[in-house]
Amino acid sequence: MSTKSQVRESWGTSYGQMVWREFFKSRLNTACMIFIIFLFAAAVLAPFLANDKPFVIRIGGQLHFPLFGDLQPNDYCVFLAAIVGFCQLLLVLRNHRRVEPSIRGRVFWRQVSINTVIMVTGIILIFIFVPRRLDATDYKSMVASGKATSAYFAPVPYGYARTDLKSREQPPGREHWLGTDDVGSDVLCRLIHGSRISLSVGFVAVGLSTVIGIIIGAILGYFGGKVDFLGMRVVEIMMAIPTFFLIITIVAFFPRSLFNIMIVIGITSWTEDARFIRAEFFRLRNQDFVQAAVSLGLPLRSILFRHMLPNGIAPVLVNATFGIAGAIFIEAALSFLGFGVAPPMPSWGQMLSLGVSTTGRFLWWLTLFPGMAIFFTVLTYNLVGEALRDAIDPRLRKAA
Amino acid sequence: MSEDSFLLTVDGLSVSFFTEEGVARAVQDVSFSIKNGKTFALVGESGCGKSVTALSIMRLIAEPQGKIVSGKIVFDEKNLLELKEKQMRNIRGNKVAMIFQEPMTSLNPVYTVGNQIVEAIRLHQKKPMEQAWADTVEMLHKVGIPDPDRRVSEYPHQMSGGMRQRVMIAMAVSCQPKLLIADEPTTALDVTIQAQILDLLDKLQEQNGMSILLITHDLGVVAERADDVAVMYASRIVEVAESKVLFEGPLHPYTQGLLRSLPRLGISAKRLQTIAGTVPDPLHFPTGCKFHPRCPIGNSDKRCQSIEPRLRQVCDGRCVACWYAPGYETEQEKKNTN
Repeated sequence: MSTKSQVRESWGTSYGQMVWREFFKSRLNTACMIFIIFLFAAAVLAPFLANDKPFVIRIGGQLHFPLFGDLQPNDYCVFLAAIVGFCQLLLVLRNHRRVEPSIRGRVFWRQVSINTVIMVTGIILIFIFVPRRLDATDYKSMVASGKATSAYFAPVPYGYARTDLKSREQPPGREHWLGTDDVGSDVLCRLIHGSRISLSVGFVAVGLSTVIGIIIGAILGYFGGKVDFLGMRVVEIMMAIPTFFLIITIVAFFPRSLFNIMIVIGITSWTEDARFIRAEFFRLRNQDFVQAAVSLGLPLRSILFRHMLPNGIAPVLVNATFGIAGAIFIEAALSFLGFGVAPPMPSWGQMLSLGVSTTGRFLWWLTLFPGMAIFFTVLTYNLVGEALRDAIDPRLRKAA
Repeated sequence: MSEDSFLLTVDGLSVSFFTEEGVARAVQDVSFSIKNGKTFALVGESGCGKSVTALSIMRLIAEPQGKIVSGKIVFDEKNLLELKEKQMRNIRGNKVAMIFQEPMTSLNPVYTVGNQIVEAIRLHQKKPMEQAWADTVEMLHKVGIPDPDRRVSEYPHQMSGGMRQRVMIAMAVSCQPKLLIADEPTTALDVTIQAQILDLLDKLQEQNGMSILLITHDLGVVAERADDVAVMYASRIVEVAESKVLFEGPLHPYTQGLLRSLPRLGISAKRLQTIAGTVPDPLHFPTGCKFHPRCPIGNSDKRCQSIEPRLRQVCDGRCVACWYAPGYETEQEKKNTN
């Protein structure tokens, strides 16, 4: 045992570990990460936090579990993805303690591929075997009328698609903590469910644009010359187009769906990433260790993505965090203008747009709370991006 | 194979860089041959084209600015310049390997040293992971890294310059190449480590029977280690000879100048001699013999100023490019000039 721990002590600190330590030295960064984890938890657990179905209810002496019965296939997919993602995170932490650094990369990719397979098959199975259910029973009136007893509701006992014209446009109060909107839906409930939209738009759109940007940037940067010249002109043409209006145009032609918005944001915002990666690859191409890798006869794939990319990814990672904030913002703006997700799907931007009601009354709670949610999320991602840049930049590290 | 068979023959190699300021002829008409199992040294000042020559052999010239304009590089009876990129990849690292000048930057900072050596072994020798790993540890042991079991999983930043250069050597010789190109392998290291690294190269050469192309500007290193020497000046080879012969009687005024500028044991001189002037800019080479502005004979000689002498064999195994070298001119030319 002692020899084993001795061996472990002698393992070198990897670049990732150094960045990690540097990042968490600051309290603000830790707070930001906690806020992001909190957001994630809210998004994943949304059906348990805000739902008009009770966890447990006793009807006629028999126990029912309507909330669990009402979970949709996409809810199960989110849970599965969250669990697999969480396990992968734990595995990465474990790898750093248990796995010898030289084979860590190999082990990591094996774990990722196994987890991806699990996730994909899981999602397919869920869509095959879990039926879409619609439980329209009004459990609350059952409790009120005494038909059912011992019901345990979620902390916010309203569904996001609930319409209740009797209680519309109510300011924050005891019953609706953050008020209700123009059709009587609970704002807090819609805020919680809306975080799913915002986060998924942020991550999927940025993931897509980053992958496109990396591949294009890597090719331009490594080959240079004519390839680079032509490629950069294409990138410049892309950059010259005002992205937001392009997105509005495209979205106007296609059906309103979350999926379309993600794809459109993804394929219009890769230019920054491509330029960053290209610049990094220009610098790296003449570095000795890349020359050494070429002189060892390694294939192009290995040189580009194994030897150059990890050394040039830092600016793209930083940009990705800003990108997430940007994508959330674009989605909010689109929804505000009415091009976003279709109601009753909740989205922060869409809620914001309801702040001025049809009667001309200004509903401050419909502007303030979604606005704050957007503001804090975007701010947090920007702060994380900034902190990541500082943690990654070795010059700043030495100076500190 | 006979002892004198050639492993690598470079014939009439010319490399140019096309920059915005003009064409830089970094290497012009360079020819030499490396014998099996011997060390061939390429000596010259910075910027004379030694490294470009080495990179051309590996076909690592940065395109599109740099281009091999003409020439042949024959290795193992194949012209490397005609091979497809895929075939070339099989030669790099496997048959011809290279060590770079700067050990601090020639290892990838994000991988452990073991990781980097294993990748090359697995690629070229198709060995399973465990076998390749064992080979790597043994290789590190061979190049004199203490405690290789532990060191194999360290990152480059945990090692000193000398250590890293040993790792680089281990990486280069891990697939038993036939030719090792060492591009100033000791320039960035301090003197005691220099000797150790060169001894290590000697030892590995003895074990593997490989040839070494040693690129250096250190004549002391050449005198000790090399079997044959070529001296380069401003993109051309000016003199080729066996190293013993060269040090006993250099023929080219540049080589003579270089040797005079070395401190010598037993001879007390107040001041070391220098060669006046600097290496010409490759964008604006002087006409005629490129050395004539700095040459004690050539700077007032019309012919040196106008006609560039080609490398020519003057006697067995000795080539030189100077109008005034004994035996350089044919009778015919002597008549013509007189």
